[in-house]
Amino acid sequence: MSDTRATAGVGGAHWAWWTVAGFAALVAWSAHGTRVDVGALLGAEGLGQMTAYVAGLFPPDVSPPTLRDAALGAFETFAISFVGSVLAVGLGFSLALVASRTVLYRGILYAGERLAPAGRAGRIGIYALARGSLNALRTIPEILWALIFVFIVGLGPFAGVLALGVHTAGVLGKLFAEVIEDIDPRPIEALQATGASRLAIIVYGILPQAAPQFLSYALYRWEVNIRAAAVMGFVGAGGLGQRIHVAISLFHEHQLLTLLLAIYVIVTVVDALSAYLRARLL
Amino acid sequence: MYALSDVRKVFGNDAPALDGVSLTVGRGEHVAFIGPSGAGKTTLFRLLNLTLRPTAGVLLIDGVDVAALDGAGLRRARRRIGTIYQQHNLVGRLRVVHNVLAGNLGRWSLSTAVASLMRPRAADAARALEQVGIPEKLWARTDELSGGQQQRVAIARVLLQDPDVILADEPVSSVDPSLALTIVTLLRDLSHQSRKTLLVNLHSVELALGYFPRIVGVREGRIAFDLAPDEVTPELLGALYAGHSDATRQLDRIHDGIGSYGTACRPLPGFSK
Repeated sequence: MSDTRATAGVGGAHWAWWTVAGFAALVAWSAHGTRVDVGALLGAEGLGQMTAYVAGLFPPDVSPPTLRDAALGAFETFAISFVGSVLAVGLGFSLALVASRTVLYRGILYAGERLAPAGRAGRIGIYALARGSLNALRTIPEILWALIFVFIVGLGPFAGVLALGVHTAGVLGKLFAEVIEDIDPRPIEALQATGASRLAIIVYGILPQAAPQFLSYALYRWEVNIRAAAVMGFVGAGGLGQRIHVAISLFHEHQLLTLLLAIYVIVTVVDALSAYLRARLL
Repeated sequence: MYALSDVRKVFGNDAPALDGVSLTVGRGEHVAFIGPSGAGKTTLFRLLNLTLRPTAGVLLIDGVDVAALDGAGLRRARRRIGTIYQQHNLVGRLRVVHNVLAGNLGRWSLSTAVASLMRPRAADAARALEQVGIPEKLWARTDELSGGQQQRVAIARVLLQDPDVILADEPVSSVDPSLALTIVTLLRDLSHQSRKTLLVNLHSVELALGYFPRIVGVREGRIAFDLAPDEVTPELLGALYAGHSDATRQLDRIHDGIGSYGTACRPLPGFSK
């Protein structure tokens, strides 16, 4: 008995050692592959360049035209993140409903019900399709979506809205579907026992239970999206990012600092708004 | 109302939860089901309220074989059966008014259901809450109520549903004895007034024998006995609960005349009191 435990212990120690070694090897290999050069970053030359660049940013450009442009950009970025997030919630929610097994073909809603094999197969197909679409939307990063939509609808904030909308729909749709599959089935069983239809049960029993988590996830993604909205301008999808890209390319350092400060302000505002809504609604 | 013959229910590869259950319940009858936990009482109720289907055997409701029901027909049949659960099974985040009105869901169209969430017809819910004794809780958040109040909300929901049968699965296991008595009396009186059939699963033998004219004992998925309360002997109860120490203690207390419900329950045959 004690023998077997001792061997198991040694085996466990070996396993832990191999994990650490494997992890270290992976870090070393990746660092080599990405040409990590700590000297270039923290050596005298690197540090000098860094300080020079940061010092060159000061003072921020506070001339009225720049301020107006920064304010406009900040507003545009805010609007992109907001409309994009609203679009994502709508699209993600619609897909989440059909990406939930418990809504489509199994669990308490289908207890006592007899789905014909063909109908069941069809529903599993719809589920797989919805899950697949959510994965596709999610795995393509916002910035790639932005490039695609700039190509389709042209330069400007609308491309940014669409990019954020579809990518975040993929993220939220998966999360929403998990929330739906995870709710307490007991109230659902009770509603079903009154003879309620499945749609009525979804409206009356599933959504009220899921709503707080839907809201919480949506607010969190909005906070993520305000940062993403600032970056997407780099590929021409409007907002502060587009102006920052121009400022960097043309070496307008003082304007750049003003725009960076504008990002700081707008991100802080959205975080505060989100925290306020969270406290009020949840 | 119900006619079961040789009903069997098996979950997966487990031993059958119910086996060889035959039972007839007439319209307007009041029946209490007792037996140790795990005996299959809850499974039986989930068959009776059409949440589950029998694996084998025949379950007739008013002469209609439920095996033939599906889709809309199944929902219509469910509408006539109201269920009250041990855990209330209410939507905690909705207000009481919505949980009560949910009794209408079997009749309502989807648009009516959605409209009710926006503008509930509060008067209907208020009337039902009046009957169960908590009219002041109409607009309260359901998960802020006590266990006993939630059970009353669940009863009000069944009143709105206005079914032919009320199934109550351990309705008083999570409330204190005095409240248990009130709720059992409430269920009995409400179903008596409206001539509804009432089937109750009870953890408390004392309540069952004291308040129901027909007692069905269930053990290991089978019906052990089906008798009037004064025919239920201590020996039958001892055999029903054999091997279940909690329940045996309960029987001992009744035997010694120190049951939880005092003089409210009439003395039981064969027991000192």
